[in-house]
Amino acid sequence: MKAVDFDYAQPATLDAALELLSREDVMVRPVAGSQSLGPMLNLRLAQPELLVDITRIAELRTIRREGDRLVIGACVTHARLEDGDYPDVTRGVLPSVAAVIAYRAVRNRGTIGGSLAHADPAADWVNVLTALGADVVIAGTGGRRSVPMTDFILGVFETALQPGEIVAEIHVPALSDRARWGYYKVCRKTGEFSHATGAVLIDPARGVQRCVAGATSGKPVVIDGPALFAGGCTEAAMAAHLAGSPAADDPIALRTHTVALKRAIAQVMS
Amino acid sequence: MSAHAKTISLTVNGTRVEASVPPRQHLGDFLRERELLTGTHLGCEHGVCGACTILIDGEPARSCITFAVACDGRSVTTVEGLDDDPVAAELREAFSTEHGLQCGFCTPGMLVAARDVVLRRPDADNPAIRTAMSGNLCRCTGYVGIVNAIRRVIDARNTNAG
Amino acid sequence: MGEVSTAGSGAGSGVGARVRRKEDDRLLRGRGRFVGDIALVGMKELAFVRSPVAHATITGIEIPEEHRGAVFTWADLAAGGVKPIRAVSGLPGFKVSEQPALADGKVRFVGEPVAVCVAATRAEAEDIAASVFVDYAELPVNSDMLEAVTPGAPKVHDHWPDNVFLETNVGGNIAEIAATAPVKVSRTIRTARQCMVPLEGKGVVAHWDRHVEQLVLTTSTQMPHIVRAGLSECLDLDQGLIRVVAPDVGGGFGWKGLLQPEEIVAAWIAMRLDRPVRWTEDRREHLVAAANAREHHYEITAYADARGRLLGIEADAWVDAGAYSVYPFSACLEAAQVGSILPGPYDFAHYRCRTFSVCTNKPPIVPYRGVARTGVCFAMEQMIDAVADAVGREPWQVRLENLVPPEKMPFDNVTRKHFDSGDYPESVRRAVAAIELEGWRARQKAGEPDGRLIGVGFATYCEQSAHGTAVYHGWGIPMVPGHEQAQARITPDGGLELRVGVQSHGQSMETTFAQVAHEVLGIPLEKIKLVHGDTGLTPYSTGTWGSRSMVMAGGAVATACRTLAERLRKIGAHLMQAGPDGAVLEGGSVKAGAAAVTIREIAHTWYRAPQLLPADVDRGGLEVTAGYKPGSDHGTFSYATHAVAVAVDPEIGQVEILDYVVVEDAGTMVNPMVVDGQIYGGVAQGVGTALYERMPYDAEGQPLASTFADYLIPGFTEVPHVRIIHMLTPSPYTEFGVKGIGEGGAIAPPAAICNAINDALKPLGVIVTNAPMTPEVILSAIAGKRGAA
Ligand SMILES: Cc1cc2nc3c(=O)[nH]c(=O)nc-3n(C[C@H](O)[C@H](O)[C@H](O)COP(=O)(O)OP(=O)(O)OC[C@H]3O[C@@H](n4cnc5c(N)ncnc54)[C@H](O)[C@@H]3O)c2cc1C
Ligand code: FES
Ligand code: FES
Repeated sequence: MKAVDFDYAQPATLDAALELLSREDVMVRPVAGSQSLGPMLNLRLAQPELLVDITRIAELRTIRREGDRLVIGACVTHARLEDGDYPDVTRGVLPSVAAVIAYRAVRNRGTIGGSLAHADPAADWVNVLTALGADVVIAGTGGRRSVPMTDFILGVFETALQPGEIVAEIHVPALSDRARWGYYKVCRKTGEFSHATGAVLIDPARGVQRCVAGATSGKPVVIDGPALFAGGCTEAAMAAHLAGSPAADDPIALRTHTVALKRAIAQVMS
Repeated sequence: MSAHAKTISLTVNGTRVEASVPPRQHLGDFLRERELLTGTHLGCEHGVCGACTILIDGEPARSCITFAVACDGRSVTTVEGLDDDPVAAELREAFSTEHGLQCGFCTPGMLVAARDVVLRRPDADNPAIRTAMSGNLCRCTGYVGIVNAIRRVIDARNTNAG
Repeated sequence: MGEVSTAGSGAGSGVGARVRRKEDDRLLRGRGRFVGDIALVGMKELAFVRSPVAHATITGIEIPEEHRGAVFTWADLAAGGVKPIRAVSGLPGFKVSEQPALADGKVRFVGEPVAVCVAATRAEAEDIAASVFVDYAELPVNSDMLEAVTPGAPKVHDHWPDNVFLETNVGGNIAEIAATAPVKVSRTIRTARQCMVPLEGKGVVAHWDRHVEQLVLTTSTQMPHIVRAGLSECLDLDQGLIRVVAPDVGGGFGWKGLLQPEEIVAAWIAMRLDRPVRWTEDRREHLVAAANAREHHYEITAYADARGRLLGIEADAWVDAGAYSVYPFSACLEAAQVGSILPGPYDFAHYRCRTFSVCTNKPPIVPYRGVARTGVCFAMEQMIDAVADAVGREPWQVRLENLVPPEKMPFDNVTRKHFDSGDYPESVRRAVAAIELEGWRARQKAGEPDGRLIGVGFATYCEQSAHGTAVYHGWGIPMVPGHEQAQARITPDGGLELRVGVQSHGQSMETTFAQVAHEVLGIPLEKIKLVHGDTGLTPYSTGTWGSRSMVMAGGAVATACRTLAERLRKIGAHLMQAGPDGAVLEGGSVKAGAAAVTIREIAHTWYRAPQLLPADVDRGGLEVTAGYKPGSDHGTFSYATHAVAVAVDPEIGQVEILDYVVVEDAGTMVNPMVVDGQIYGGVAQGVGTALYERMPYDAEGQPLASTFADYLIPGFTEVPHVRIIHMLTPSPYTEFGVKGIGEGGAIAPPAAICNAINDALKPLGVIVTNAPMTPEVILSAIAGKRGAA
């Protein structure tokens, strides 16, 4: 179980990285913590010709506060987010979520940007950042653009990234002190990917009432508004929201997704 | 040898190593095949079992899904490099007393992960130890001896500190 | 009976002492030596081209020009005289399969090796493997054993009339009971196909030793002598020209108890290229090509009276044996064993069981820890609970009603198994007390605040271990255990070297056999060295399997040491000028009155000062090879009752284990710490069988799991902190009264957990009968009821 032969570069600047990533003569791919790409390479499910390691680019490893947002560099690791050595505007959401991603040895290398770019529907950041209303800043040789999470994840392993582009930053809006957060994952084992995720945010100060059903074998399903709170989270309601996803047609999956969301909701209602 | 071989220099168990590595070689293979540090074991090569866990700059990491070429300039510590580490020494003693190993294949990764738990989670109760260790699989011991061993080390440290 | 231990005070370091392991230090420092750690000068690596389809004719193999000479197929091996693996059984009607080490024109399961590629590194060998193009003409597939036995099913082996390796019929006198029994309950029960998943995969390094002129195969095996025998047959090479060595082995559980095609290929390539070669099984190879354990299907009926007293059991059982018969255990051992052990620890008179070893397009089945017992216990113990439910009694009461009582021991059961000793009902009573059943029943009644359902389940089994000669002779497979041999030799400096042909891969034999020797000779443990798992250095043995090593090889060690003790005593007496009758060996010295001479001094005399020896000294000297068999050829019967409390989340189908108690009787324990470790580890694997582990196949015979992300084995948070209670009834037939213990922990958990889940689901009026009991299984059962309502 060894990767195919590939070339490797470790640029020190974003410009140099984007230059390499825009090459069209080889199959090129960025790599960050390699915690998702590594297994795929070893299993030969990914067979790139050139890997561009972006983890040595200093600006991608910073966390800073900009007004009412937290700006997280793409190469910030889950472990760092778990340890909380930054002005956490989410009132504990980021550290608590980071702490339940995989295992510490994986969290020490895996990155928030890699997680989003990988776009596994069951991944924690994919669903949590959608619920938090984060924006993704994408960098390419043509410049930068900001995309809301709801437009960034397009489907299973599918994102708004164009060839040659990378995730540079994630902007997370601050939660008010009245904000309430609920998160529930259905996992068979600790650290294993979720089979159904419910993420819920109520922030009256910003008028947010948001439910996210994740790990649905599609992009996160966002349900805004009060409908699901106060008893509205039923299988029938969820069947409508999940329509089109395979989860809607499988009664057991539908049930599990409903329960995951119901339990996340219960956390904010209690 | 790969046409793409890269020269890296890193510290392995305190010794500076300069090496030409094919980028596709993962750190586990680099340590085992080139450095002959075979204490680091490979149980899955896809990041799940934890047998290959080593320290990079003092932090636990999976050597099977970290490529050696990415470790240029880093400091890598394997189980062989923990001979004189005080926490590892306490853990070895406790693993033996509590029968925390049978075939010993998961053991090097267990020790590296357990050392991290002892250092980072001195307050851990048994369920917390189990959660913190859940990234390491053992097929022999049923985990009881390992949990007891970590418990023993944490308790002894807390007693000595208090 | 109860806590009686014949030998070993538990103090010191002899039999019964909880001493730390001699093997720990090297393993804790990363200084063990596993196959993958071995690098020989000039060594090449192997990678296999494996079949991506379950059943096909190979119509062509294209090897790129630049890799000619680095790729070998069956044509090459056959031209070199290599023969296919033939693992026959002497049971009447057994159909023989021939398994070539590389596919010979046809593939019969996904993962079957088709060609082998040689390169300097494994990565490069895999590159070559990826460049080999094999043309497959696909054939219809048998992906399910029940369909494979229907008329018109495609045939796995063309020349067979059907897809059944063997059918067996046991018992028969059931018709009358069936017609008259007041209580009759039937179930369809199934266990999933599993992988054994030792954390170290299989691995082999082969080279030709030019000096000794021997093929040396260092392989992660549980049975080096048997691998040598099999290799000799397939390579047509004298056994004297082969040495098989097992180094540190990272767990086996059965998967390393067979002759593997890859071993034959590696051996042949090493000789052909005159180069050391290494093959390391990676995890994907293991999961895909070695999904080979446990898949049972039962149609079973229990007959009982109104109290729940069993009147009879009637069953048809199918075991999916996969595509080929494995060497040495054959394709029929598992199913044939079902027929003989289904009655479990119970005393009843009427029994009929028909078994089928079915041939399918899946990897061949290999006996996994507990072998058929895990499936059998899963079936039988569900029936006990079903009977209890039917007669309105507590399941534990029905167990007490039917278990063989201690006053009937030794006892011959309905299939003529000879239970040696023990108090089976007492294990149930203690389990009921230890799990605190009353408390759980109260909590059950009160209901949980989070809506989860509480359930308590029990399972009792007895396990034949250290099988004797007659059973295996009866099966007529390539391996029949006879007298187990051990060699004991005093070293010139008064230490002891033990040589055994069994192999230790986690069982702690370096420590426990030393304890046995210490018990007899008094030599300190640190001066006792165990050499094991090497055909060049140890006496023949069928190896480590069937919970036999302590009973058999431990018995042989004791026997050899006793002979040594006698010789030491005589020499010692002579040195003290005492008559041999007055001298005793005690605490490592021979003593006569106030005089004493140490073993070290006696050793010095034999080796370095022979002029001082008596004229009539035993010329065998201080080296003894002794054979041993227990007093009964039926082996020993250890037994246990497992009790478990679970919480079932009826909304998401997840099961949490809240408490787990094992009450077991392994006879005398040589090292209680090691016994506990075997039980903890076995239970963890049983939890995997119960709740997590399943290799699913689609209709095309494609395995649907290939990584640890989709084949789940239990981790720290899935396995309970098991509590163990020992009963210590020595076996009347063995040295020190020991019984086999290696497998037991893995037998009962699926049954106990299933019974607990069904106890929890009772208010919903549904049951589950198939393992693993995943959320899907539990939710489907609940949904079925909802749908039906
Ligand atoms: C055993 C195990 C368990 C896990 N469990 C969980 C879990 O429970 N929850 C969870 O959320 N995750 C889990 N993960 C995944 C983990 O979180 C990964 O770290 C993460 O998915 C990928 O981050 P990375 O930095 O390692 O990315 P990499 O593996 O380096 O890259 C992943 C993909 O993203 C691309 N990429 C990386 N960075 C960027 C970027 N900045 N811009 C554009 N493309 C980029 C790469 O080309 C690649 O396609 C688990 C992983 C393992 C090994
Ligand atoms: S070998 Fe690295 S996690 Fe299993
Ligand atoms: S001791 Fe064998 S895998 Fe843990």
